[in-house]
Amino acid sequence: MLFSLRELVQWLGFATFELFMHLGALLVFSVLVALRVDVLVAVSWWLVFVPLFAADGLSTYFTTIVSIRLYQEGDRRLAVLRLLWVLTVLSLKLVCEVLLCQKLEGQDQARELWFGLIVSPIFILLQLLMIRACRVN
Amino acid sequence: MSLAQRVLLTWIFTLVFLIMLVLKLDGKIHWNWFLIFLPVWTFDTILLLMIIVKMVGRCKPGFDPHNATQDLKKRIWYLVAMLLKLAFCLTLCARLENLTDIYLSFVFVPLWALMIGAMVELGYNVFHFRRD
Repeated sequence: MLFSLRELVQWLGFATFELFMHLGALLVFSVLVALRVDVLVAVSWWLVFVPLFAADGLSTYFTTIVSIRLYQEGDRRLAVLRLLWVLTVLSLKLVCEVLLCQKLEGQDQARELWFGLIVSPIFILLQLLMIRACRVN
Repeated sequence: MSLAQRVLLTWIFTLVFLIMLVLKLDGKIHWNWFLIFLPVWTFDTILLLMIIVKMVGRCKPGFDPHNATQDLKKRIWYLVAMLLKLAFCLTLCARLENLTDIYLSFVFVPLWALMIGAMVELGYNVFHFRRD
């Protein structure tokens, strides 16, 4: 729409297949959120967030394999850079998800957890994406 | 528009929306939810205008009809996707403001349609290239 798929892959640093996987996880997650709010009120939020955690895990696995292959083929700089970037993005996403889950679950230590703190990994991610955008021609 | 301009546009609107969302959720401001979504409305309007302007460009004299059907199909899908997103945001705001009391599942229906469409497009790209 605003970006072509090629630009998006270059900018975000994720392969098309990974984007597909994350989108699928988000779809399942939204279905579970709707079910949790409308029908299954007693289910834990941690269960609702499982698709997102699963997508993060699979994405990490995928990236590790791709990086090892790149490393073996002699493209070492690209392999390390790709691994570092994807792991940074995924860990920031994971921190945000875990904090949000704790907040929604209403655990004792989560009472003073304010939303500014929960979203702060996303703010860091936005700055990183802006810096990365300057490198994409 | 160049890529940097498009990225900057997306970035600014996302940032402003996130800041407003966080302030609202933390109870620092007590604005209407429709007002909180103002960056989203603005961004969507800009995108819709861009798509419509490009579609209207077909009516110009001297338009090259090469690959036009494929292009038009893509543009129509983008237009439908934007309208679905707009419908989702509007119903979500209405629900958050307690204007309606519908199930959250009904609010999510346009989003699901949009996501399934996007997954079909992405999946086509992934597996089509793989076949090649």
